[in-house]
Amino acid sequence: MRPLSVVVRTGCDFFAWFMIVFGVNIVIHGYMTPGGGFQGGAIIATFLAFLLVAYGGKKVLSWVNEKIYEFLFEELGLICFFVLALLGIGNSFFYNFLASPLGAERTGIMSLISPAGTTVFMSIAVGIEVTGALSLVIIAMFRGIRQFAGPSLPEEEIGHDR
Amino acid sequence: MKKYIFIVSAIVLGALVCGALDNVHPYGDPGTALMDDYFLANSYKSLSTQNIVTSIVFDYRGFDTIGEAAVLFTAVCAVGALFREGRGRR
Amino acid sequence: MNGFVQLIVLMLLLISAFFALWFKDLISSVISLAVFSLMAALEFYMLQAPDVAIAEAAIGAGLSTAIYIIAVRACSGVKRRQGGGPK
Repeated sequence: MRPLSVVVRTGCDFFAWFMIVFGVNIVIHGYMTPGGGFQGGAIIATFLAFLLVAYGGKKVLSWVNEKIYEFLFEELGLICFFVLALLGIGNSFFYNFLASPLGAERTGIMSLISPAGTTVFMSIAVGIEVTGALSLVIIAMFRGIRQFAGPSLPEEEIGHDR
Repeated sequence: MKKYIFIVSAIVLGALVCGALDNVHPYGDPGTALMDDYFLANSYKSLSTQNIVTSIVFDYRGFDTIGEAAVLFTAVCAVGALFREGRGRR
Repeated sequence: MNGFVQLIVLMLLLISAFFALWFKDLISSVISLAVFSLMAALEFYMLQAPDVAIAEAAIGAGLSTAIYIIAVRACSGVKRRQGGGPK
């Protein structure tokens, strides 16, 4: 996949980071606005597809580090999710042990966290996991099709890429 | 011959779908269920999550979210197994 | 008024689904599939399900379009090397 023209790349430079900010906003406000972990993670993973379309494959694959997506995102998100689910095992699996009812008095460390309890942290964990999973799918697919692409096609910038 | 069979089956299927549209709820008038009423009454009061959908996904029905995470993990494993750079491929 | 807008969105949904099947060019077909996802997201939003609308817009119009385009480009590279293909 060859890089697109300089207009497209400048537009990508502007809007790609706003996309990440929007996705993180959706993830961490998942307990009170529409959205949640899955939706925000999908928006953050769109960032990589955006860069891949604008900048071409060779540059993006030299930028990203696949180990980060494998460990820090996918496995860390899943582990956090399961640990949060297991922490309430004294009552039941997936018991919301941090939540407090509406209007209840909250003291100490409980006053620092949201009254929604583990819902917030589970949303963030699922957001991290979905980000890693969808980005890994894109990276692995693009690495894979380079085996079939052949030795031709010089990597120069073109205006209208087909 | 094949075209006639296709046309007749399309007409029959369309008639069945149009007949089934009679049983759909009208717009803005959902049916009542006891679980819905429980969630709407208790989600904000006991968990204080403003978004009821999130409280269902991550709290009341958290076990289904594990299934969704497992589906994503299986998809990543399948893509990695299909597209990995093997030694015998090139 | 709401019913009128909904009728237009549903008509656009049908038209984009038809064009996704009708185009011979695969890139045009993928783009009209993205339009289909966008219209479905609008329809979900009008039916008061903003969660599903966000998921549909992010995955249907964003990610799956990129994945389809990657796959179509890979196949066109193979075709060009073997001397076949439309272009």
